[in-house]
Amino acid sequence: MTSRATVRRLLSSREAGTVLGLLVLCVGLWIATPFFATAANLANVAEQSAIIGVIAIGMTFVILTGGIDLSVGSLVALAGVVIGLALQRGLPVSVAVALGLLAGVVAGTLNGLMITRGSLPPFIATLGMMSVARGAALMLSDGRPISGFPDALRVVATGSPLGIPAPVLLMLLLYALAYFVLTRTVAGRYVYAIGGNEEATRLSGVNVAFHKTVVYAVSGLASAVCAMLLVARLNSAQPVAGMGYELDAIAAVVIGGTSLLGGSGSVIGTLVGALIMSVLRNGLNLLGVSSYLQQVAIGVVIIVAVLIDMALRRRVQRSSSHSA
Amino acid sequence: MTLTRLLRRLMMPAFALLLAACNRSGDTAAKPTIALVVKTLNNQFFIDMEAGAKAAADSLGLELIVQAPEREIDVERQMQIVENLIQRQVRVILLVPNGSREIVPAVVKANAANIPVVTVDTRVDAASLAAAGGRVATFIGSDNADGGRMAGAFLVERLGGTAQIAVLEGVPGHETADARLRGFRAALAGVTGMQVVASQPANMERDQAFNVTQNILQSHPGITALFACNDVMALGALEAIAAAGKASQVSVVGFDAQDDARKAISEKRMAATIAQNPREMGRMAVLTAARLIKGESVAAEQPVPISLVK
Repeated sequence: MTSRATVRRLLSSREAGTVLGLLVLCVGLWIATPFFATAANLANVAEQSAIIGVIAIGMTFVILTGGIDLSVGSLVALAGVVIGLALQRGLPVSVAVALGLLAGVVAGTLNGLMITRGSLPPFIATLGMMSVARGAALMLSDGRPISGFPDALRVVATGSPLGIPAPVLLMLLLYALAYFVLTRTVAGRYVYAIGGNEEATRLSGVNVAFHKTVVYAVSGLASAVCAMLLVARLNSAQPVAGMGYELDAIAAVVIGGTSLLGGSGSVIGTLVGALIMSVLRNGLNLLGVSSYLQQVAIGVVIIVAVLIDMALRRRVQRSSSHSA
Repeated sequence: MTLTRLLRRLMMPAFALLLAACNRSGDTAAKPTIALVVKTLNNQFFIDMEAGAKAAADSLGLELIVQAPEREIDVERQMQIVENLIQRQVRVILLVPNGSREIVPAVVKANAANIPVVTVDTRVDAASLAAAGGRVATFIGSDNADGGRMAGAFLVERLGGTAQIAVLEGVPGHETADARLRGFRAALAGVTGMQVVASQPANMERDQAFNVTQNILQSHPGITALFACNDVMALGALEAIAAAGKASQVSVVGFDAQDDARKAISEKRMAATIAQNPREMGRMAVLTAARLIKGESVAAEQPVPISLVK
């Protein structure tokens, strides 16, 4: 009886469907190919998930407030180019990275101000920023990639403190921080409250405009951290980097069970969502599946994951209303 | 229990896919596996390369995996593919780099796993590779700069040394397109009447080439020649030029000699293209892989012939 209760409690947690999906995928791949469940490959997958994983943290905050941020891919390019140019001018790595992060925060804050002060819908404001930031990245770099960086930066991608690849460690730390903020701080509760009912939150005396602006700044910051990882990984800053990342990040958030309507979801779900996407891509590469079929498979997984999540949630709602 | 039933129903297609994939690779476990990673598979050039490679792999009894990022500009995704194929323990990686510098860390990882890397069509940046301590077994491809020179010389001859020229560049920083541009500009260098009035990137994509060409026609309505760094862009440009009613005024030269471009040339809508031989590249790449597996030595450079199609 107790084990049944435990199972029920686990199933009723928000991330249950997503975690189950990830497990099923991993078991399937473990059966299908001997190359999947090796320590080296699992480290490889975790490392590959860091890029989208980090942007998806900021995206989770934004989507929890009921918004959307389409500019993240372009901000990756812009922040990356800023880091690249700073390094090219001989600035120390720490200063270059700080400038890149600043660029991300400033652009994200502008998104937030357009939405809160200018009353623009988030879709429009960030769509505009997507184009502005991409153009700025191309202008700053003259359209060319910038490459050849000091080892102090490369170590962000190649180092492995405590035997964990540095990008994975950074991603996990950021997820822990985001989890803490969302579940243990007042600001985190406001993020959910704004997404749940913005008007009610405002009427209860919360400075909604401020908190929403900060959320977009966080998304810009997450994009800039991703830019740092990407520049270090490729040893090159590209003005065309990050195209389509906004959709991958949104997919990770949605697979993770966060509602696009805002107000409900979790950052842990997003982490699992990002892992599902990398595990799937990795597995399809290992199996030598055709590149065309891969795109179909990824689309199917997004749809199936959300279907399972919705089914589980309906069930949880039913059982909780029965017990009440 | 309805929940279990629902889950099972939803999971079935995913499992079916996995098992199908499993069966397909299961019966070939004994064959040595090699991989061809191209820039993208939505360009005829790489589909032809894949065909040439597949035919050669079949005749040699090799298992060939062909993979590509969805978008030609996605250097990071190509790096992921290479990393995954290293985990797959393929014997040789045949690689068409999306970014000549950006792919260097992936090549170094393959080196560390003792998997030889053969570059095809596009080179890895030699200086970056040397700085990272990486190595490439051999390069198989056309002399793109020479092709660009051929295209330039052809236009000089056709237009009698006087023309207003528009150029559609590729993805900035891509080695192949850069080499074609270099060659093209070199061919025009001594000829004062040949003026390049506009030179804009259209990222090797047809719809972008259409838009960029439309814009160029607005600012430079008098252009008499257009050079595109690949046929995909040349074909997009042709449509924009035709839409502007200037089909007879502008001589368009592309690069790659794709089927559609050859057809446009035979119909006199397009002036010329440079024929590379992607099928031969794919074939030579697989033959080279077979030699590397046997431990034989290969030449550092293996040129594939090119020619002008007009």
